[in-house]
Amino acid sequence: MELICTHISELRLVAQSIIEFNRKYSIWLFEGEMGAGKTTLIKEICNQLTVMDNVSSPTYSIVNEYVTKNNKIIYHFDFFRLKQEEEALDIGVEEYFYSQNYCFIEWSSKIPSLIPPKYAKIEINLYKTNQRVIQLSQHG
Amino acid sequence: MSDRILLAIETSCDDTGVAIIKNGNILANVISTQTVHEQYGGVVPELASRDHQRNIVPAVTQAFKLANIEKNQLSAVAYTRGPGLLGSLLVGASFAKALALGLQVPIIEVNHMEAHILAHFIDEPRPLFPFLCLTVSGGHTQIVLVKDFFEMEVVGATQDDAVGEAFDKAAKMLEIPYPGGPLLDKIALAGDHTKYSFPEVDMQGLNYSFSGIKTSFLYFLRDQKKINPDFITENLPDICASMQACLVEILLKKLRRAAKEFGIKEVAIAGGVSANSWLRLKLQEEAVKYRWNIYIPAFEYCTDNAAMIAIAAHYKFVHGKFGSQKASPLPRWSLE
Repeated sequence: MELICTHISELRLVAQSIIEFNRKYSIWLFEGEMGAGKTTLIKEICNQLTVMDNVSSPTYSIVNEYVTKNNKIIYHFDFFRLKQEEEALDIGVEEYFYSQNYCFIEWSSKIPSLIPPKYAKIEINLYKTNQRVIQLSQHG
Repeated sequence: MSDRILLAIETSCDDTGVAIIKNGNILANVISTQTVHEQYGGVVPELASRDHQRNIVPAVTQAFKLANIEKNQLSAVAYTRGPGLLGSLLVGASFAKALALGLQVPIIEVNHMEAHILAHFIDEPRPLFPFLCLTVSGGHTQIVLVKDFFEMEVVGATQDDAVGEAFDKAAKMLEIPYPGGPLLDKIALAGDHTKYSFPEVDMQGLNYSFSGIKTSFLYFLRDQKKINPDFITENLPDICASMQACLVEILLKKLRRAAKEFGIKEVAIAGGVSANSWLRLKLQEEAVKYRWNIYIPAFEYCTDNAAMIAIAAHYKFVHGKFGSQKASPLPRWSLE
């Protein structure tokens, strides 16, 4: 599936469509170059899923944990600063990934062999300055 | 009165920190990266810095040795309960609890963000209450109204990226290796900070946003490289200086507004980014202009360290705020 977002006002609708489409998946990979809007999109998705916490980038902390209104836990990862896959094992990513909770992952390319076989992918591509094409695919 | 001696453990992120404080004076302040470095005599890989389980015993042993203190002299054991990485926090929490239980002394739980602010009470000059503290690091950007030792209110915070992350990502775009912030600071020394300007996104009230400025940098570099492929290499110091000046101005703008709003002239900075030379310089200029009394911590107390946990624990002890053996780490423990 492909979604087009030309203005920030369309973000709400895009987030809704993504949640609906990936309902059966708990592992979501967000791909796209720096500045593509991965964190912004995750912020809106979390908002729709009734997260009460402030959703911010986990580049330094590697993982942020959020709680929704109905006490569901959401994990938000950013592996940007990892140098080796082993470092992700050290923080216990497997326990997070196989917890059945939503795991929203940025920079999954840093840990290719640790990603569970069943996952949904959200690719954000920037065309003109403000036009983003978002491709959704499901694997495993 | 007997001496009050505390052991403090900090394992919220990359480094294992251990400090010993006696009656409010720091006797030892050990950071694992240094200990491991000395012990193994080589360059420490990134992986080792995360390896709290391996570092904690040598770091504690070294702290006792440096402070010339025996375990049975301790009055309490303190640890960082949060915020931070759950796995990392667990190592410090388990170690601290076990040691306190074994020695039959109280345990003290410290909030890492509160400790960054209380680091100002390690040495003179100490700020007077109420004061404003701008806490800036790789993971946090917030303005805190500090009314008393344990009465703090976050009056502004980033809604997306932390400023330290903006520095590191700007550095990454310029192909400066991670963590590029400190290196960018060095390169900027030789540059002209007025050469380039970037559009800023203004946030409501005292809040911050650094995601937009990151994208502005990206587009700026992309457009310039289209005109001149060697743009970055030819202008690196000027680009670094301009970006740094832009980020620091965003920080100071809200700090000025907060100082005016609350009518406060006691202003402090804390956290890893408070080591940034441009921020330190500009803050001094602001101090003269607005007659602020400013407080800038020593370099070793800016980045994550256990001395700040120790000083926070000292005041918690004085105020009778003890923890529980049953407490679990809190990865997202906010200040209020």
